[in-house]
Amino acid sequence: MKFKRYSIPYSLWLLVFIVIPLVLVVYYAFTTGDSQDFSTFQFNMENFKRFFTHIYTSVLLRSVNLALVSTVLCLLLGYPIAFIISKEKEKTRNILILFFVIPMWMNFLLRTYAWLALLGKNGIINIIITKLGFQPLDLLYNDSAVLLGMVYNFLPFMVLPIYSVLVKLDPKLVEAAEDLGANRIITFLKVIFPLSLPGVITGISMVFIPAVSTFVISSLLGGNKSNLIGNLIEQQFRYTGDWHFGSAMSIILMIFILLTMIFSYKFDKEKEGDGGGLW
Amino acid sequence: MEKQNIIDLKNISMSFDGEKVLKDINLYVKENEFLTLLGPSGCGKTTTLRIIGGFESPTEGKVIFDGKDITDVPPYERQINTVFQKYALFPHLNVYDNIAFGLKIKKTPKDVIKEKVEEMLRLVNLQGYEKRSIEQLSGGQQQRIAIARALVNEPKVLLLDEPLGALDLKLRKEMQIELKSMQKRVGITFIYVTHDQEEALTMSDTVVVMDKGRIQQIGTPIDIYNEPKNSFVADFIGESNIIDGIMHEDYIVEFSGKVFQCVDKGFQKEEDVEVVIRPEDIEIVASNDGILKGVVNSVTFKGVHYEMFVKSDDYEWMIHSTIMKDVGSEIGMTIKPENLHIMKKVKSDEI
Repeated sequence: MKFKRYSIPYSLWLLVFIVIPLVLVVYYAFTTGDSQDFSTFQFNMENFKRFFTHIYTSVLLRSVNLALVSTVLCLLLGYPIAFIISKEKEKTRNILILFFVIPMWMNFLLRTYAWLALLGKNGIINIIITKLGFQPLDLLYNDSAVLLGMVYNFLPFMVLPIYSVLVKLDPKLVEAAEDLGANRIITFLKVIFPLSLPGVITGISMVFIPAVSTFVISSLLGGNKSNLIGNLIEQQFRYTGDWHFGSAMSIILMIFILLTMIFSYKFDKEKEGDGGGLW
Repeated sequence: MEKQNIIDLKNISMSFDGEKVLKDINLYVKENEFLTLLGPSGCGKTTTLRIIGGFESPTEGKVIFDGKDITDVPPYERQINTVFQKYALFPHLNVYDNIAFGLKIKKTPKDVIKEKVEEMLRLVNLQGYEKRSIEQLSGGQQQRIAIARALVNEPKVLLLDEPLGALDLKLRKEMQIELKSMQKRVGITFIYVTHDQEEALTMSDTVVVMDKGRIQQIGTPIDIYNEPKNSFVADFIGESNIIDGIMHEDYIVEFSGKVFQCVDKGFQKEEDVEVVIRPEDIEIVASNDGILKGVVNSVTFKGVHYEMFVKSDDYEWMIHSTIMKDVGSEIGMTIKPENLHIMKKVKSDEI
């Protein structure tokens, strides 16, 4: 028990920076009034009623939809990448993985701004297109641009967990499958993929969660047309000043993420495999 | 009727990154034979097994299976199954699905699969374990499931890569006997890899002793033990006294300054040779009656016999005997002519 006192600073940290803010968010979510004046607060469900009776639900659905599509795209792109890298020799593997990690050392905003320069009306891609004699394209400020931004930014979070599970996969299991008559495709479907599921589940959560709550990517690449739930929450706090409604939306998003986590965790347990998840 | 060769390895050589690990391996395996590849680690026995299984392609040479060249046939098209060293059972499948894996791929009807899996579980004595997960099984049980998973496909040849290595001594002995009887019951060829010479002698019909990528000797366990072809085999199989000697002429050899009768011939006159004598073949007699004399340096009780080290003028002899002599006592030693094994001297790089 002598270590108990060493945990005090950490408990304090948890209390001040996680527990109290969370309680405050919940408190704001279930009250209405002037956000700056506690005496005007009244307990009620107005914020939630407002959310579920207005167009906000359609924004939530749109956010979830875009996040799902970007997660699927990341998976479709990321799995083969992780698979191919894991087959390489150790030296090559480490270099290739480094290439995936290096962009993450650069500022997230900067990387997203770079796409503005590429996709804009007078961006590099349109310059090339007009030089070739075609009409310039509207590449920015639509859902595809937002998707591109999400996939580009979150792909490493899909590749890394899948890669780390695949690279630990016992090659003897692949040989055992081949020994028992499975060709490469069957070996992949029956052995390699099921055993890499913990990595896939982790990758999905690590892409889906930031994708569903992002507001930077959508406001930079999506413009005004592409409001996501993250943008709505941001607006409530920064411009409208309605912290109550903003908190309520945050809570709804949290519950939503929590449900997806439980769902994927359950799925992982059912199909339990070697390697383990990363969190 | 003469048994057919089920596997023929013809002039197999193998290199990894320019390093030769197998050098001109020629080996045939007969139907229903229990053949063991025996040798120290790094001798090439596992590589040989992997070439037969199809997991490695030899740099040179051919693998003939049932009269057909299968050198380039992938493992999943070979009628050969393997029991892997650490079993390599699929952790995401239960016992039933592990055993059924091969049958499902062959699209066997469900009721047939069920029947065969149950039959296999009976064979390996694990009835009722269908629903267990692999992690719930002990090492010995995993071992049996690995065997069942391979045998259920009715292969013509079963490859076993040190399958008992991870088990404790008692279980290993039990499994040795069980494997041997299983092989007789199912009547298929077993090719077994081990570094444990006792295991090899206990179970095999034929033992192939390998070292440094070459086959040193092929023979029955009795041949290998009693008539080792060179000092490596003699030293590796059982324990031996190996001493330099000179072959004066046929049937006459000199070592330790004494001339002995022996049963070997065909050497050049005055050829340098090595003489191998098994520790149990040295007889202890009164010190004046022996050809060789020595002083007992140490005595260890080994259960069935005593192990003694006896120092003579130029060699320390290892003797296994049921007679115990006290440390420090002088004894005489005699050796029967048929128990002297004369070997040509081999330069170490030829091995």
